[in-house]
Amino acid sequence: MSETRAPTPTERGGAGGESVRRFLARPAAPALAFLAVLLVAFTLANDRFLTASNLESIVDSVAVLGIIALAVNQVILCAEIDISTGSMLGLCAIAAGAVSLSTGGILLPLLAGVAVGALAGAINGALVTLGRIPAIIVTLGMLYALRGVILLVTGGTWITGVPEPTRFLGTGKVLGISVPVLILFGLFLVMELVNRHSTWGRNVFAVGGNRVAARFAGLPVNRVRFVAFTLVGVFVGIASMIYLGRAGSVQTNTGVGLELQAVAAVVIGGTSISGGRGSSLAALTGAVLIGVILNGLILMGVPGIWQDAVLGGLILLAVTTDVLRRRLVGDKA
Amino acid sequence: MSALVGTMRSLKFSRELVLLGVLIALIVVMTLLDPLFLTPITMLNTSRFFVEVGLMALGMTLIIITGGIDLSVGSNLALVSVAVGFSFAAGLPLPLAILFGLVVGVAAGLFNGLFITLLNVHPLVVTLGTLALFQGLAYGISKAQAVSDFPGWFAYFGQAYLGPIPGQLFIFVMAVAVVWVILSRTSFGRYVYAIGNNEEAARFSGVPIRKVKLALYSGIGLLVGMAAVIYTSRVYTARGDSGVGLELDVISAVVLGGASIYGGSGTIGGTVLGVLIIATLRNGLILAGVPSTWQLFVLGVLLLAAVFVNEFFRKGEE
Repeated sequence: MSETRAPTPTERGGAGGESVRRFLARPAAPALAFLAVLLVAFTLANDRFLTASNLESIVDSVAVLGIIALAVNQVILCAEIDISTGSMLGLCAIAAGAVSLSTGGILLPLLAGVAVGALAGAINGALVTLGRIPAIIVTLGMLYALRGVILLVTGGTWITGVPEPTRFLGTGKVLGISVPVLILFGLFLVMELVNRHSTWGRNVFAVGGNRVAARFAGLPVNRVRFVAFTLVGVFVGIASMIYLGRAGSVQTNTGVGLELQAVAAVVIGGTSISGGRGSSLAALTGAVLIGVILNGLILMGVPGIWQDAVLGGLILLAVTTDVLRRRLVGDKA
Repeated sequence: MSALVGTMRSLKFSRELVLLGVLIALIVVMTLLDPLFLTPITMLNTSRFFVEVGLMALGMTLIIITGGIDLSVGSNLALVSVAVGFSFAAGLPLPLAILFGLVVGVAAGLFNGLFITLLNVHPLVVTLGTLALFQGLAYGISKAQAVSDFPGWFAYFGQAYLGPIPGQLFIFVMAVAVVWVILSRTSFGRYVYAIGNNEEAARFSGVPIRKVKLALYSGIGLLVGMAAVIYTSRVYTARGDSGVGLELDVISAVVLGGASIYGGSGTIGGTVLGVLIIATLRNGLILAGVPSTWQLFVLGVLLLAAVFVNEFFRKGEE
């Protein structure tokens, strides 16, 4: 909750040490600092790095990841987890792609992708809240079950030749800015507003911070969590249109491993994995950070097969930083 | 309807008996689908495929009883497989390479354990991180290449037969006996249940929680190492993508065997039955000509159903 909590008397001192502490108390602070250092380092190492077009292409490349991370962020803020998004993206993209092949256009494929995603997300949410099964088991089961559904409905074949109008959300430009970037920042602003000013947004923090207290305070704990899981499905559906536009085709292994990247983006950005503390800015920062690092690895000539190792190392580093920072700030949350 | 539910819940049933019934029913169905299924040769052959999952499930049972989880077992298996194969390819004698692999497995498990106990972070997050880390290391070190020029005797671990019985079945039976004794007949085993039932109470009762957890996560590392050697020998290839997704089979088997995912309950007998059911199901689906695409789906749904049924009956028992 620290993003908007009132400063405590000890924090109002205004001394140098205090402002550092206050900066550190922001969930996204370490990731933002790290991102700034990386940007400076890459700029010094390669003078073509800090150009508007290169930065745009980096953000463009993490749009799918960032949108999913924004929603997974809400689930993690509720002190739950969702590791089914990789298979979910594949299934949504297949639904959107199939509709696009028969009708064309943007709206109907988008609706198909969002509907399939929302349904899958709602199943996750229902199993977690009504079935009382831990989210990790539910979404692990769904990760494999949905991949199975993908193989079943496609019979192992690809969807190719997606018509040009449908691909606008992935490849188009509006006012000179690429559409995926606009969608990512649009959804980021929406989530920031939701988290600051909507009842559901505030409830998410309360449920994740202390579920028992939230229940005693009369909050609809199950409904809050159900909505969060369903929102993941909706955002994955939107992201699937960007994927479809960029790739122009869907394979049966579309989205494999994305579930890890989404969780990584959220925790690297600074949202606490134990829930209740974090922000949408953290999820966005984490996603961009992953994009910059993967981009940097390519610039440094590191083979792509090391990506998983770097990602895993980053998750562990982020978790360690989170724990150490909390001990430093003296926050027991 | 609610009366029926009440009767079902009030039934004092033994979970192991129910699982045994499920296993027998499954074998009967499979035999009806394919008469070849119920021959000793087929049954024994099935055992060649479940030993690896079974070994890891033994360690996972204890970890799940403490309320923890280890998602990194599949990646760790790949890492050990690559460690054995590529240290051998680099010139290390094979016996030493195998030993090195086992050490890597234990070290990886210990790494998980240290992270979990020192930082006091939920095992789920740590092992999600190491799932990616170990997988990436396995890919990176192997450069996505494979090693398969092992000497002939390496096949002993995963392909040997003693009479009609696959050799690795003996290793599995011994491992089951050892882990059963540890869980049911030692104070360490009581500590495992105590931590799962109430970690706070266990701490105040003087249970050395950190040491127990370190031992558990290192222990599953050793079991993963053994499984990796058997796997590498069976397929006769060391590759970075060995064991991808195996954590699903392992966790499903343990949960199917009746261990509560919230910790505090679970038995080795139940887990062994869970492993047998999953192996029979997988093998039966293949024999019955069901496309492999269905198998992931069936396994995913089975996992969800098992957890749901478990918690449903547990509420009835309370």
